[in-house]
Amino acid sequence: MTGAPADADNPVLAAIRTRRVVRSMGDRRVSRADLETVLDAGRWAPSAGNRHLQRFVATDHPGTLRVLRMVSPGMIARPAAVIVICTDWALAADFGFRPDVPGPWIDVGTAAATLMLAAHAIGVGAGPVTSFSKAAVATTLRLPDGLQPDMIICLGYPAPGGPAPVRRGRRVTWQDLTVFVP
Amino acid sequence: MTGVPAGVLTEDEALDLLAYLVTSARTQVDEAAEYGPLRLLTAARRLGEAIAARSSDATAEFVAGPLTALPELAVPQAGRAEYVARLDGVCRDLAALLTDRFAS
Repeated sequence: MTGAPADADNPVLAAIRTRRVVRSMGDRRVSRADLETVLDAGRWAPSAGNRHLQRFVATDHPGTLRVLRMVSPGMIARPAAVIVICTDWALAADFGFRPDVPGPWIDVGTAAATLMLAAHAIGVGAGPVTSFSKAAVATTLRLPDGLQPDMIICLGYPAPGGPAPVRRGRRVTWQDLTVFVP
Repeated sequence: MTGVPAGVLTEDEALDLLAYLVTSARTQVDEAAEYGPLRLLTAARRLGEAIAARSSDATAEFVAGPLTALPELAVPQAGRAEYVARLDGVCRDLAALLTDRFAS
């Protein structure tokens, strides 16, 4: 593809193309209204069978955020708020999912993508974290049995600094990732 | 606690690092092997940031310089030879610091 894409004015596609993982966040807090806007978007994320097996646990409490970062090696940013995407495995069992099947985790991904795009749409930076102790995070958030934390979405306003993104050679294009078949 | 010399880490800073190391041990069981050195270097970098203000000039210089030579998210897979060479450089600088401090 050369030059500007023909659909450059499409706001959804523009949001998809301009969203970046934010790894350095400042002290400015994320308002409760903005947090609720992002959470409302999460409710609209694609969910297999419309089952809604995911639950969102949100916090902007400074002490809780500090502990979450301490037990999350992958959390580089110091977020102003987080949304923890959890899977309700008790509910999943009611639908007949065994605990070792990957199906419910796919919806964690769709929820994460939706939450991060929603944050980007209202000018809030977001970044996902999967490297954390699930046991420690569940304890920190006082989660009930059966509710498993699967991904943390950090939220905050971008700040200068922070690590450079991982570069693995040249920028990947859609053609690199795609094969057309008859 | 009285009678104990002031250290270079506060208890909170030490707990921060301790939590990072323990939880990294757990997450590494499930993660790509290339994250292993990344986590260790992040721990070293955080320790360096915590101790720099209360350390000797030589130590402060090391943690602000060579220890940060590798990009924070660098992993061997993105260029193993360069990664190893840069890490070897950090190890040499560290050895020089230690030799000056303990063996000269």
